[in-house]
Amino acid sequence: MVGKRSVNDLFFDISDLLLMIFTFIIMAYPFIYILSYSLSDPLKITTGLVLYPEGFSLDAYKAALGSPSIFHAIFISILRTTIGPIFMILVTAMAGYCITREDMKGVRIFRKYFVYTMYISAGLIPTFLVIKALGLVGSFWIYILPSSVSVFNMVLIKSFIESIPKSLEESAMMDGANDFYLFWRIIFPICTPVIAAVTLFGAVGQWNAFMDTQIYNTMHPELFTLQYVLYLALTTPPMDIGEEMRIFITPKAFRMAMTVLTILPILAIYPVLQKYFVGGIMIGAVKG
Amino acid sequence: MGIEDSYDVATNAHACGYIVIRKTGREIMIKTRQNIALTKNSSWTNSLYKHRFLYLMVFPAVIATIIFSYIPLFGWIIAFKNYRIGLSIWKAPWTGFYQFKRFFIQGDDLVNLLRNTLITNISSLVFSLVFACAFAILLSELRYKKLGKIVQTVSFFPFFISWVTIYTILHALFAVTSGAVSMALVDVGLLKKGINFLGDERFSWVLAVVVQVWKSLGCNSVIFLASISGIPLEQYEAAEIDGAGRCGKIYYVTLPNLMPTLIVLMIMNIGWILSSNLDLFYLLTNPTNRRTMEVLDMYIYRYGLQLNDFSYATAIDIIKTVVGLILVTSANALSRMYTGKSIL
Repeated sequence: MVGKRSVNDLFFDISDLLLMIFTFIIMAYPFIYILSYSLSDPLKITTGLVLYPEGFSLDAYKAALGSPSIFHAIFISILRTTIGPIFMILVTAMAGYCITREDMKGVRIFRKYFVYTMYISAGLIPTFLVIKALGLVGSFWIYILPSSVSVFNMVLIKSFIESIPKSLEESAMMDGANDFYLFWRIIFPICTPVIAAVTLFGAVGQWNAFMDTQIYNTMHPELFTLQYVLYLALTTPPMDIGEEMRIFITPKAFRMAMTVLTILPILAIYPVLQKYFVGGIMIGAVKG
Repeated sequence: MGIEDSYDVATNAHACGYIVIRKTGREIMIKTRQNIALTKNSSWTNSLYKHRFLYLMVFPAVIATIIFSYIPLFGWIIAFKNYRIGLSIWKAPWTGFYQFKRFFIQGDDLVNLLRNTLITNISSLVFSLVFACAFAILLSELRYKKLGKIVQTVSFFPFFISWVTIYTILHALFAVTSGAVSMALVDVGLLKKGINFLGDERFSWVLAVVVQVWKSLGCNSVIFLASISGIPLEQYEAAEIDGAGRCGKIYYVTLPNLMPTLIVLMIMNIGWILSSNLDLFYLLTNPTNRRTMEVLDMYIYRYGLQLNDFSYATAIDIIKTVVGLILVTSANALSRMYTGKSIL
């Protein structure tokens, strides 16, 4: 009996280990591939599945960073990644606090008012028409304003605030603090974990956004983001990368270098991201 | 609660305009009529003024929500009109349910669209959750914790990168001639010519599902890992005494404990069964695979913004939202009936 069980367990352990290694390869290989390809000398690549850089060369990166249009796109991406989350957190956190205040008249209505937007969406065209009527098409603010209220994040913040003991708020109110002061000086600092998580959600979302450029700003190259330029490079590499560079690199090597550049900022903050996202998901899951 | 305490409660209640009735040892507080009148007179304006800062703080979000979520709802009217760019919405002629008839009766896109949307959405939902669940179990059972940590860290990463980067990677790996996989298969001699993974109709659904599962695996598994760590150890010990091996413990203890999470997550996503990720499908859909790859959202995008048929696109958007709403409400009712919990 015991012998059979331990044999089974051993078999289980080995298959578990193999499956995990397999998962690791599936998850990691695409990244290894793009990194190796972008660092290779494209003319020396002969095999299909590249595992390490062949004939080390940084030409692809030089070409990518040497292109003024890509440089400008990086600038736009950074701009929206910083301004967007700040805007979002200001608007969303204040509203998130207000909907925890049971003593405020109409708090239930506000809560429903926000949550319904998660389920009722007007759709692509009506939203497009409103944004066009507001004159936001072809402007930078299209990246910032529509995403300034995130109901999902609002609910996360609300759940967090509700977990803070009420007595804290009450004692501050006794001391005569007004609601504005109370929120910014007492509640907001306590909410740092959830605020950090939500700001990071927002920043990653802004950095990765693609469809808004495609929908609203295709006619405005000065507002192209890095994601959009990367998408354009799938069909044609930017024209301004310089004649002498074009001889040394292939379009694919160029795309791989751009992809690595696009992923790099995310990779840089990944340890922080992972930590806060796990926390964020757990707050969300508990709520659900 | 001592006598003195209850006396305290009673006096406080009196002060706030309640009368306290003692009945079979329990206190019931009733607001007296006089006091209701007293509080009512000044309550409205008083309370508005008292919470003026709160209203001020919620104001930006209310405005942004009105502009970007509620005002567009009035745009639904164009589904019942023949609206073209440059025309005023009010002057456009009424067409009644013409656009809906066009989609349901006259057009022949409906079947394909619904099939593509439902197949890709349902399978990516089910496979994402099932694989994430299996992955979480295997991860928690792994003997080499360090390796587990590494695998988990790596598997979580794709969740944070954009669909454009994912598509670029897909393209690099699976393009017909320059794709790594095709090249490798040709090199080995298995194929004469590269496979067109990204353009061939046969691969559309597999592609859309696999990519979504790949991206969300690590993220979804976090929820299951947390559920697993919440399972009481006694249950495993009891199973062990009953002679269960490791597989037995997974089958009889872990899985039954994870089932509720799995079901709740599936129910929660029912309302979005007709909505696809536009970023992904915009990139994946091309003229060669449109018949099997185009989903409702992409169709709306194509008709609305590429063919400028605003009324038709809006009609389909309305159908999508209404069906989604019906599904969410029914899922909510079901969930309330069986688990007593509301998902909304």
